[in-house]
Amino acid sequence: MAARSLSSSTTATGWRARRCSTCLLTGRMVRGWPQLMQSAAELWAVPPPDPTVSASGDPIATLAAMGRAVGRGLAAGHWPGRGPRDEAWEQIASNFVQARRLLEEHAAGSEAVSTDGQASPTTANTQLLHALYVAAHATAVALTGYERGLQHRLEVGARRRQPLVERPTALEVESAGGMIARFDAIEELAAGSLAAARRIDATDQPATGRRRPTVRIAAALAAWEIQAYRTLASHPDPADLVRVARVQALIATTTVVVGEAAARRGEIDAGVIDRLTPALEKAQLAWSRSARRWAELTRAASRTDPALVKAAGQLRTAIRAAVANQTGWATPEQIAGRIDLPATALTLHRSLVAGVELAHVTREIAADHPGLAAPARLIAMRAQGEAEVAIEQGETRFEGVRWVTPRQIAANEVIPLPEPARRGLVNAATDVAAATNQAVAAAAHLRPTEHAPAVQADRARHIGRAARQREIPVRHPNRGGRPR
Amino acid sequence: LNKHATDVDAAETLAGVVRLLRQAAVLAWAAADRAGAGPAAQLSALGVDLAADQARHLVPDGTEIDGPVPVGDQPAGLLRSAELLLRRLPPITASDALDYLRATVADLVWEANTGAGG
Repeated sequence: MAARSLSSSTTATGWRARRCSTCLLTGRMVRGWPQLMQSAAELWAVPPPDPTVSASGDPIATLAAMGRAVGRGLAAGHWPGRGPRDEAWEQIASNFVQARRLLEEHAAGSEAVSTDGQASPTTANTQLLHALYVAAHATAVALTGYERGLQHRLEVGARRRQPLVERPTALEVESAGGMIARFDAIEELAAGSLAAARRIDATDQPATGRRRPTVRIAAALAAWEIQAYRTLASHPDPADLVRVARVQALIATTTVVVGEAAARRGEIDAGVIDRLTPALEKAQLAWSRSARRWAELTRAASRTDPALVKAAGQLRTAIRAAVANQTGWATPEQIAGRIDLPATALTLHRSLVAGVELAHVTREIAADHPGLAAPARLIAMRAQGEAEVAIEQGETRFEGVRWVTPRQIAANEVIPLPEPARRGLVNAATDVAAATNQAVAAAAHLRPTEHAPAVQADRARHIGRAARQREIPVRHPNRGGRPR
Repeated sequence: LNKHATDVDAAETLAGVVRLLRQAAVLAWAAADRAGAGPAAQLSALGVDLAADQARHLVPDGTEIDGPVPVGDQPAGLLRSAELLLRRLPPITASDALDYLRATVADLVWEANTGAGG
C-alpha cells in the first residue's frame, strides 16, 4: 500500500512535468513545494535508517531545509508570493502523509512490510527521493517555460510599444530565473542523493583508511549546510551572513584543490576540471565580496550563532586535515593519500549545489531583513554609490533623495539601511548566485573515471591559483613551535 | 566586592581578547583577499574568525566590547597577545569553553608561526 502511494506519486510528478511545460501553473507549483517537501521529510523519518545511505549525509535534511527556505521567501512576499497551491502537488503530499501512516502502523512488525510486491523501508526511501527528484524537475521545466513566455511577452511588448503596465517587468523575469536556479539545485541534490544511496557503503565496510577523512568531510559539509539554513532562517545577525559567505568561499576553494588533485592523478577527467576551475574561482571571489559587504554591517556587540560557529569549526578542521599541510595546500599525492579524491570531489560538488540556494536565501535576507542597520557615514557612502548606479540604469526614484541627515553623519548614528544600500547587498548576492550556478553547470559532467587521462606537464591548461600555490610551496621558518 | 571586581576584570580581559582576535581576523582576511582566488590563507583566517566568535560568547552581557583598535600589522602578533591575555584570566573564570578557546588560540598561534593553513 505504501509502495502504491509512492509509485502513484512518481507517476503523477512525471505527468505533471509534461503537462506543465506549456502552462502557467508555475506559481502554484512553487507554492506547493514547501508542503510537499515537509510531507516527504516526515515520511522519511518513519522507516529505520537506510543502510545504503550514509548516516553522515542525510539528503532529506538538506532538501527539507531548502524547502523551508522557499516557503519563507514566499511568506515574505517574494515571487510568486502567497496564493493557491498546485492541486497535484497537494495530492502527492497527501500520498506521502498516507504512506507515512501506513508505515507507522506497520512499524511494530517492520518485517511484514518487506514482503514481495511491497516496499521495504529502504525501497520506500529510494522511491521518495525519486518522487522528489521528478517533482523538482517538473517544477524547473515549468519555470523554464514560464520564463521563456515572460521574455517573449517582454520582447513583443517592446516591439509593439505596448503600455508598460501590460508588459512583464525585468524583475519578474529575474525572479523566475532565480527560482529556476533554486529548483535546478533541488533537483540536482535529489538526483545526487539517489546516486549516493546506490553508491555509498555498497560494501558495508566500516570507515577506515582514506574513507575515514572522506566520510568526515561529507559529514561536516552536511552538518554545515543544515546549520547554515537554520541560522539564516532565524533572524540572522550580519555576522552570521559573513561567516556563511566565508565558509562557502572556502568550500569553493577546496573543490578546486580536490578537483585539481583528482585530475592530476587521472581520477577525474582533466577537461572537466579545466572548465570547472575558473567558474569555482569566480564563485569563491563572489562569496568573498559578499562577506566583505556584510562585514560592514557588523557591530562590536555582534554575536555569531554558536551552532553556526561549531559547524564551521568542524568543517574547517575536516578540510584542513584533508587538503592542507604546514606550507599551505597539500600536494595532489599527499591529498590522494588522505582521502578518496573522486568521492570527495562529488561530495563537494553536491555542497556547491546547496550553495546556490544559500545564495538565494542571502539575497532575500538582504532585500527583507528588517533589522539591517549601519553607521550613517558608511550608509551615506554606500547609498550614494548604489543610487548613482541605479540612476545610470534608468531608475528615477533615487534622484535627488538624501539618505542620511547631516546630524546623523556628524554623530555617525547607526540607522536602518535605506533601499539603495540594500540594493548593493542584493546585487552582491545575485552575483554569488550567478557565479555558483555557473560552477554547478560546469561541474555537471564531474564523474569519477577509471581511465581518465592524467594532466600532461606540457599541456597548456588553466590551473587554479590554489594549484599554482601548491606548485611553488613557500616554506616559512618555524618561529614558534607546536604549543603544548 | 572582591569577587565582583574579579568578574569585571575578567570580562574586560575577555573583551580585550575579542578585540585582538577580531583585528587579527581583519588582517588575515585582508591578506587572503589580496591573494585573489584560492589562497590557503582562507583556512587560517576563518580559524581566527571562529576563535573571535567563541571569545565573544564568553563575554558577559553588558560588558563594553568596543574599544581602541589593537596596534599591530601581523595576525601572528595579535594572536600571541590574545593567547597571553587568556593565560592571565583568573582561575575563577575557568570553564570548558575557556579551556577550548585557549587551545584554539594556541593552535592558531602555531599555525600563524609555521605557515600551516596558509
